[in-house]
Amino acid sequence: MDAESGKDVKKVPTYCYNCVAGPDFMKVKVVDGVATEVEGNFDFVEDTPSAGRVCVKPFGLIQKAYNPNRVLTPMKRTNPKKGKDQKPGWVPISWDEALDTVAGKVKEAIAAGPRDSAGYPRIACSFGGGGTPTYYMGTLPAYLSTLGPLDFSFGSGQGVKCYHSEHLYGEFWHRAFTVAPDTPNCNYVLSFGYNVDASGGVCGVKRHADARGRGAKRVQIEPHLSISSGTASEWVPIKAKTDPAFMFALIHVMLHEQRDKLDIPFLKDRTNSPYLIAPNGYYLREKSTKKPLVWDLASEKAVPFDTKGIDVALEGSFATTGWEMGPDDDEWDHDTPVKCQTSFQALCDHMKKFTPLWASRICEIHQKVIRRIAIEFVSEACVGQTIEIEGRTLPYRPVAVALGKTVNSGWGGYECCWSRTLMAVLLGALEVPGGTLGTTVRLNRPATSRQASVTMHPDGFMEYPMNATDKENWLAEPDVRNANRTLVPLGANSPWSVALGPTHLAWMQQEKGPDHWPQATPPDVWFVFRTNPAVSFWDTEQVSKVMAKFPFTVAFAYTDDETNHMADILLPDCTDIEATQLIRVGGTKFIEQFWDKQGFALRQPTIEPVGDAKDMTWITTELAKRTGKLEGYNNAVNRGAHGVPLSGEGYDFSLDITKEHEVDEIWDATCRAASAEITGGEETDGLDWFKEHGLRLKPFSKIDWYLEAELQDQGIRWELPYQERLVRTGKQLGRRLHEKGISWWDEQLEEYEAFPEWKDLPQIWDDAIERNYDVDIKDFPFWLMTSRSMQYNWGSNASLQMIREVASNIQGHGGVIMNTKKAEELGLEEGDWLEIRSPVNATRGHLLTKHGIRPDTLLMIGQFDHWATPYAKEFGAPSMNALIPMLLDLTDATGSSCDLTKVKITKLGGSS
Amino acid sequence: MTRWVFVADLNRCVGCQTCTAACKHRNATAPGVMWRKVLDMEVGEFPEVRRTFVPTGCHHCENPPCMHVCPTTATKQRDDGIITIDYDLCIGCMYCSVACPYQARYKVDIVNNAYGLTKMANEVARDEENLPRKAVAQKCTFCADRIDYGLENGLTPGVDPDATPACVNSCIAGALHMGNIEDPKSNVSVMVEENETFLMHEELGTKPGFYYIWDRKHDADEDTAEGGEE
Repeated sequence: MDAESGKDVKKVPTYCYNCVAGPDFMKVKVVDGVATEVEGNFDFVEDTPSAGRVCVKPFGLIQKAYNPNRVLTPMKRTNPKKGKDQKPGWVPISWDEALDTVAGKVKEAIAAGPRDSAGYPRIACSFGGGGTPTYYMGTLPAYLSTLGPLDFSFGSGQGVKCYHSEHLYGEFWHRAFTVAPDTPNCNYVLSFGYNVDASGGVCGVKRHADARGRGAKRVQIEPHLSISSGTASEWVPIKAKTDPAFMFALIHVMLHEQRDKLDIPFLKDRTNSPYLIAPNGYYLREKSTKKPLVWDLASEKAVPFDTKGIDVALEGSFATTGWEMGPDDDEWDHDTPVKCQTSFQALCDHMKKFTPLWASRICEIHQKVIRRIAIEFVSEACVGQTIEIEGRTLPYRPVAVALGKTVNSGWGGYECCWSRTLMAVLLGALEVPGGTLGTTVRLNRPATSRQASVTMHPDGFMEYPMNATDKENWLAEPDVRNANRTLVPLGANSPWSVALGPTHLAWMQQEKGPDHWPQATPPDVWFVFRTNPAVSFWDTEQVSKVMAKFPFTVAFAYTDDETNHMADILLPDCTDIEATQLIRVGGTKFIEQFWDKQGFALRQPTIEPVGDAKDMTWITTELAKRTGKLEGYNNAVNRGAHGVPLSGEGYDFSLDITKEHEVDEIWDATCRAASAEITGGEETDGLDWFKEHGLRLKPFSKIDWYLEAELQDQGIRWELPYQERLVRTGKQLGRRLHEKGISWWDEQLEEYEAFPEWKDLPQIWDDAIERNYDVDIKDFPFWLMTSRSMQYNWGSNASLQMIREVASNIQGHGGVIMNTKKAEELGLEEGDWLEIRSPVNATRGHLLTKHGIRPDTLLMIGQFDHWATPYAKEFGAPSMNALIPMLLDLTDATGSSCDLTKVKITKLGGSS
Repeated sequence: MTRWVFVADLNRCVGCQTCTAACKHRNATAPGVMWRKVLDMEVGEFPEVRRTFVPTGCHHCENPPCMHVCPTTATKQRDDGIITIDYDLCIGCMYCSVACPYQARYKVDIVNNAYGLTKMANEVARDEENLPRKAVAQKCTFCADRIDYGLENGLTPGVDPDATPACVNSCIAGALHMGNIEDPKSNVSVMVEENETFLMHEELGTKPGFYYIWDRKHDADEDTAEGGEE
């Protein structure tokens, strides 16, 4: 009680995980039961990389809770017709009726068998926001685990709005689902469109500001002057989708002009650089052991790569005998000497043609800029230096390359991810202090530790859980609607794999399946939580039409929106500040979230739920009970499907599996188990303790930021530069597909290259558009791109007035940005009302002129294509989502594409 | 002597508007009113362009034109430099708003709700803070109540969160600071001493209490982006 005001005033600790760069910790001020203010949690200034602060997004959470447009009671649809042009006819119903209806449909689906006639799961789920919904869904994962096979195929942004190629290649090369510079120690970052100051969260923003403060340099290479270009030391306005050419030229300079400055001992001992490449493109091996061979300069013969005491050749070609292992059972005996290059020599030869002059003509950046940047990158790398981290000496290489969305997804993603990783490898700057780091694993197991996921492959590299492509084990019949295990070997088979897709394939197949493929079926039941693919995906018109055909959709609903417009039942769940959940925090996670602490944090109700909204854990428990899955659900909670196992060595807080448990009972047991886990069983504090303190942390070793230490310990090499395993995988996949008569994935198969070749990426877009839409690409002269905004990215903030108000201070929200001189040339003026049309669709918006954008590029920040979401539907802002062609032609081998298309503009009332 | 000032490090600011939102929360300002905001500024022509984010608001001038033109003495200057508005004396003439070169002042005749006619629970709860500001001039108060509370409780403004303006507390980039410029050992004095700074519209003689750290070398280093085809 506040003595002066006589009011009940408290500050309630909780967390914000609205974006993948979370979590951050905050306090909500509550006065007489009403939330009034958000502020940082300054109790943890020293313990969290965000220094106890939160970004702008959680300041919207109070409006989010009290928004008068919220759905506050369960609803059922009364109009059986679905579509954008149909009113759902929502009628409020009781929770009993809503839950019984949903449970009835789930039971029907289960009773009909786990898979339908096409072999696909009958129940599908879509969650948004790069995994962040997990931190708001309470015990829903425990319930879902009881329902048999589920289909997470239907994407809501994955593959076109994420760092998709990086997720797969990053995990393959260095257990890096997400990649980040070691910003606290890095002095020189090459950023290809990595918009960290808009999307890196509090931690990323603070670390980069600190780095600038100590004189670190960041070169921002992208077609428009983003937020992060504004804060960078240099902006290089590269032509859209030509990043691989720029990076190839950087590598050319490193190899052919700076070779003596590379980390030669590292390349010899810690990479596949010395491995000999046999005539068919695979490693030359010792037949008896199948071990790859290297050339020993001392004995002047080829020996297995792991032979002790040898002096390996890094460069050169050598005539020798051996054995070569190709795809499937293909093999070649080289009984007479054949000429074999080292992998490094082959790399040097391959990259020779990619000169800065060559790249300058593609990227439209002067060759001397490219060369200068390459030389700066090498000279800043401190090759040969070491640093001590917690008593262990590691290489110190304060240079890194960061890739942004659309650079590291779709065609060109492989080239950029390979180049980025190779640039680090050439300098010994991968996974070492100051260098390029991975921060999380999602495809390898266990997900809790990058280090624990590392084991050695017989070829000397890390093992990788590739989806099988051999005859016996290839999954010829897709088990989910996006066919991820069938088409994408690198996607692995973790709980995250399905969501990586190709997620658009699930939507596309509903209309018409590709040749030699069973026609896909809609799911019997579709659960939608915290996602809105009807406006957030690509070619949103098509996606909306497809979801309108789904027979039964359950949407956990905040307000009316474009996806739940097609739903049958709306279940109003609590907003962020109304419900309970305990999550793991710290260690190393997404983006730049690598901490020197780890532990658990509580989200707790700061206010009573508004209306009849319910905690997700309550909803989930009720669904489990009503579908007859209570025991399985409780078992899953006890196992820790909701985040924390309830028992461990010396403690057991397991729930009685036969009973229905209250929300607080479940989370109290979870808090006790978490306390025991983090203290080695010494403390067992429960929910009340966490409600008071907010979070509990313990140290996390900085050594674990750097995977190089683990690889050193296990004697494992980095699998670069040569990509023998990818080539073999691609060949086998191609054979399997062709055996089924499938040729529509052939272009994707070309991505499996030992070294990437330059592909004319802009031309790929032009050709695909002309081929599929029967247009003359010359009529579409502009590249249309987007850029993240901290106010809006992730977070579902489009319906919040305050967020819109403060976002208005940042130029570009709500319009289409064009180069000022280009606009003048076209006779256009600031504020003109334009139609922006791609071959797929059109959008409208006001013209905003800026000098900080290439004349051939247009930019739309945010994607406000809402037509049902209250408040947001009034914006009148353009959105590119409906304009992006959803095509297999624009899908890369990892199953992703880019937020990118070609467009033309028309001034409404007259052509421009 | 004490003079509270703000310091914004433009090399660190990313324009995120967290300070803008934090100010709105702390002070319950009406929709459309931003006592603190961050400008998004572009200078130059393609490809030689710079983009800079500039926090602004009331600069709490030593020689405040807003105060000089106030016909009712509603605008005053505290001994510690903070410019205040006495809402009971203000008649809403807005001479001050015209006189202020920093566009720091607002006037709201009708306090709109965030969502039309419906007043949300948090808006009802904060009506008593907002209503006295109706139809009079309003602007950044420097969160003087927090500063005063902090000093009364042995805290240091600019260091201890409970004694520090909400905008400074919230800054995620460590760009925004406040402190006593009269104390040569204070956080802000050290920053101003050790960095190149400027004052906005210094030529107008307002002697603003808002320092900007800006590395001019950053501006001069133009041997950088070179667009144009080879």
